[in-house]
Amino acid sequence: MAIEIPKNLDELPTTRPRYVGRGIRRVEDVGLLTGRVEFVDDVVLPRMLHCAILRSPFPHARITGVDTQAAEALEGVAAVVTGEDARRWSLPAQSSPEGWGTHCIAGDKVHYVGEPVAAVAASSRRVAEDALELIEVDYEPLEPVADPFKAMKPESPQVLDAQETNVMLDRVFTWGDVDGAFAEAAHVFQEKFRWNRLGANPTETFGCISEWDPMSLDLTIHGSIQSPGMFGLGRAATFSLPSNKVNIISHAHGGSFGGKGGTRGCDISCLLSRKVDGRPVKWIEDRGEYLLSGGGQAWDRHYEVALAVDAQGIVSGLKVGLVDDLGATGEAYGAISAAKPLAAFTGPYTIPVAQYDLKLVATNKLPCGPYRGMGPPPHFFVLEQMMDIAARSLGEDPAEFRRKNFIPADQFPYTIASGNEYDSGNYGEVLDQVLALSDYSALRAAQVEARAEGRLVGVGVANAIEPGVFDWNAYAIVGMPGTGVPEGATVNIDILGNATVRVGFSLEGQGQYTLVCQLVADYFGYEPENVRVVQLDTQSAPPSFGPGGSRLGVAITGAVLGACERIREKMARVVAVLMQSEPENIEFMDGKFTLKGAPGAEMTVAEVAGTMLARSDLLPPDIDPRPEATHVWTAAGRTPADEEGRAKSYLTAAHAVHIVQVEIDPETGMVEIQRYCLADDCGTRLNPDTVEGQTEGSVVQGIGAALLEEYVYDEDAQPLTTSFMDYLMPTVFDAPKLEMVAVETPSPFTPLGAKGCGEGAIHTTPAAVMCAINDALAPLGTSAREVPAAPMRLWKLIKEARERASDENNNY
Amino acid sequence: MKSAPFEYVAPSTISGVLEILGQNDPDEVKLMAGGQSLMPLLNMRLSRPALVLDLGRVADLDFIRETDQGVVIGAMTTKRAVEDSELILREHPLFWESTVAIGHPPIRNRGTVGGSMAQADPASEYPAVALVLEAELVAVSARGERTIPADDFFVTYLTTCLEPDEVLTEIRIPRLAPRTGWAFQEVARRHGDFAIVGATATLGLEAGVAVEPRIAVFGAGDRALRFPSAESLLAGQPATDEVIDEVAAQVAAAVEDPLDDAHASADYRRHLAGVLVGRVLREAAVRAAEASTGA
Ligand SMILES: Cc1cc2nc3c(=O)[nH]c(=O)nc-3n(C[C@H](O)[C@H](O)[C@H](O)COP(=O)(O)OP(=O)(O)OC[C@H]3O[C@@H](n4cnc5c(N)ncnc54)[C@H](O)[C@@H]3O)c2cc1C
Repeated sequence: MAIEIPKNLDELPTTRPRYVGRGIRRVEDVGLLTGRVEFVDDVVLPRMLHCAILRSPFPHARITGVDTQAAEALEGVAAVVTGEDARRWSLPAQSSPEGWGTHCIAGDKVHYVGEPVAAVAASSRRVAEDALELIEVDYEPLEPVADPFKAMKPESPQVLDAQETNVMLDRVFTWGDVDGAFAEAAHVFQEKFRWNRLGANPTETFGCISEWDPMSLDLTIHGSIQSPGMFGLGRAATFSLPSNKVNIISHAHGGSFGGKGGTRGCDISCLLSRKVDGRPVKWIEDRGEYLLSGGGQAWDRHYEVALAVDAQGIVSGLKVGLVDDLGATGEAYGAISAAKPLAAFTGPYTIPVAQYDLKLVATNKLPCGPYRGMGPPPHFFVLEQMMDIAARSLGEDPAEFRRKNFIPADQFPYTIASGNEYDSGNYGEVLDQVLALSDYSALRAAQVEARAEGRLVGVGVANAIEPGVFDWNAYAIVGMPGTGVPEGATVNIDILGNATVRVGFSLEGQGQYTLVCQLVADYFGYEPENVRVVQLDTQSAPPSFGPGGSRLGVAITGAVLGACERIREKMARVVAVLMQSEPENIEFMDGKFTLKGAPGAEMTVAEVAGTMLARSDLLPPDIDPRPEATHVWTAAGRTPADEEGRAKSYLTAAHAVHIVQVEIDPETGMVEIQRYCLADDCGTRLNPDTVEGQTEGSVVQGIGAALLEEYVYDEDAQPLTTSFMDYLMPTVFDAPKLEMVAVETPSPFTPLGAKGCGEGAIHTTPAAVMCAINDALAPLGTSAREVPAAPMRLWKLIKEARERASDENNNY
Repeated sequence: MKSAPFEYVAPSTISGVLEILGQNDPDEVKLMAGGQSLMPLLNMRLSRPALVLDLGRVADLDFIRETDQGVVIGAMTTKRAVEDSELILREHPLFWESTVAIGHPPIRNRGTVGGSMAQADPASEYPAVALVLEAELVAVSARGERTIPADDFFVTYLTTCLEPDEVLTEIRIPRLAPRTGWAFQEVARRHGDFAIVGATATLGLEAGVAVEPRIAVFGAGDRALRFPSAESLLAGQPATDEVIDEVAAQVAAAVEDPLDDAHASADYRRHLAGVLVGRVLREAAVRAAEASTGA
């Protein structure tokens, strides 16, 4: 009997799902919120040492000498490592486009402020930091380059010695007759945009404890690691170890959002452990290190965009030029952020042809890493500004202009110009819902009144596609072939009928353990309390990629339901034997196996499990007596990229429309968000509360992007925002009240019809807030093309617009 | 991020404090109040004292008292205590208002009034309010006690006129003239942040004419600034929009060398100083007018 993973809620073996699809209380929250689960910094191992890292104060300098003698002599210091150790025992980072990785500790030269130049293992972190002050490094400063346009010029300082240019990639992807579309267009709109560098800031920064056994050469790493499986493969590659020699024990952690890179610090602690004969070495990245040199900076982008529109107001072509400043070296998969927009390049629109002129450039800034959304949020920021520019110029309402360009609901699955296939959608319905929720026409009427009083009130309508359930094939185009993204789960029923599910990813806060409990409970007719989720280390767990690319909810649903199906199938055979029938005659519903046509002949899952384990002697020899099964789920039908980068990459396409009302104080440039409404469609909502929570958090991060967050570097590539005094994340006080409504268009391609939704609103929020701001500024004839829309920037725009206006008046 | 090694003492009397300061090179000693500014400096190793002298156990530095002249606040009084004080809310609503604009509750739970005055952050609320309220700050040392007008206390960026061996013990805030209007406003990137620029003012109104206006701005210059010439421009004038705009423009012009950083350029700060002074003067005038009609 083949297993079949239920494609929608009706296919679950239950009369009516009692848990899936409902917002049940999350099983993981108590431990996470009280801090009683074991975070990595709670772990104390025998003979453990503590690592501190010495970092470069220069953005670009030759290292002519490193003297570690005095540090080594300090009481409590066990070892010091430098670039020499890194070159002896490790390879350059493998998580970069080929040839653009560097060693975890600088060798002859430093490439950015904060790059490690040496590290100490000592009896305490304090002693280790004392020792850092005793290390003498001789630097010969070199001219730095902080601007990617300068970096592209032949006379620019060269960031990496191993390369002859600062351009990591320079490629134009063309999908269809773009030149023709622009030549024939009734209107062409062009604009430049700047998205400043920002990024993830999880509550807990990265941390690890590394133990490198000198006899077996096994490497064991405890850590707060987002993707333990991938992380293990990466360390194996870096240290030239067979992948089965590396074991990753990931602890519950305080968020990630992609920012838990930490590979450099981890590799350094591994080198130290090797140097001290395998003693465990703990490195806890502190917030200063995180902000200066962690894995959390992303998307430092300069865009030049053109939109072709025909006489009917239908968008007929899109050109996006992107200069993506990736910082000093490629690492931590930052480069793939520029590739991911291909999964939804033309957004929710029917735009038939498009072009992507992509340049990945190195400068003397911190290498960019991943951040929630992984690249599309800035892309949608520019696309949605272009839609508004077109609508405004053609005198059309921004909501209706978008609507007439939507992919119609009856056209799915729909293949977009850049090659990905959208599974399903009902964009008009999502728009209608949020228009009604916000009472859009009343918002517009209020705006007319406010404008009459001279107030700068604006309404933004923006939407975006959230590509969900990623696959590595999308990323090959930036020179980063991947390893595949399996997700496995092992479901085990014990002799009393209780279930344990073993997984390979750790608690991060998104509620996947709860989802697992919901799924098993509804599948077997259990209560969630009968289900326990256990995370295993990477050498014991089923294959797992973990959270990332809005995939885990869908992927773990597939894995758990697949394992449940396998158990059901096995149990049906057992029941058939016990009831002296054939498996085809055994039915399973609401937790009971019944024999067709024999009322009263039934066994519960617990009874079957108990019988299998207690009386395995009764089973035929070809039946494995363990009521346990593992299923490994991967997305079906993904294709390799063609010569223009086109691939079926992300499996699902969620959609959302946000409507935001803002008011700008014209004298200070401060923006107040007065209303925030959204409708979103991520298919079947497996746990609506979790979706809401993810949406709320993501809206707030999007507001941070639109208004607050920015890693500032000066012209000499010195970072100016190295603490939370200067890097401004939104707090609860900056979060508006959210009004939300859901639309559910199930995916035909996924277990239960769910779509990826974990990255969510950050795809739409920056665009929506900026649309609102530009709507407010429109009467002044100016607009903001740079995020964040910091008050100083807006004040300047307003001032210049008013000066222009008064000059014009004076001229008449 | 761990501090360099230091010794730690926590005496329980002021004389104990002075004794320890006498036994050590005062330049090597750091007084610690709530630690909200000092601890980050220690942990980032930007401050490396040999000895940290914790004032947290010193008796009689944590109080809010009413006297004939006004209100006296002990240096070790937390902002939280100020926030909870009915006396402050009644007698000095301006001081109360500026208190709740400082950081967030956890910071106010530990941070002290004296610590903020001694820290003299140019973007801090208290120094500016101390200027317009014409507060006096009392310091003791082995050499005796001295009373310092707020005007003389704040010298420049993170610097007061306190000598290294002096301890700030209390802040005296004289009672305002009856029916004085007041206002306090700031522009900060987020709720609870240090201000980019803030302004505060007090002002009386007699028959629509401004009496004894006082104006201070913070976050614009190297310290909280008061503007005597702008004040005299306003004094005796009707508090009309026109006059207030002129006064605000004069303040903006008078800010010397405005701070310039990643979040706010010198230009922008100067502009905000003018905008906010205009706003606080208007608001203070409304309060003063209400107080006169109410009386
Ligand atoms: C997240 C955050 C946000 C903040 N936001 C604001 C804000 O918006 N506005 C604002 O004004 N402040 C803000 N602060 C600073 C806060 O108000 C501090 O509490 C204050 O600046 C110092 O007070 P303290 O009691 O903590 O002093 P400490 O940090 O203990 O000491 C500060 C300095 O004063 C000296 N000192 C302390 N007491 C005495 C004394 N009695 N005699 C002589 N010298 C003394 C110390 O030696 C030290 O140099 C913020 C702080 C944080 C952490």
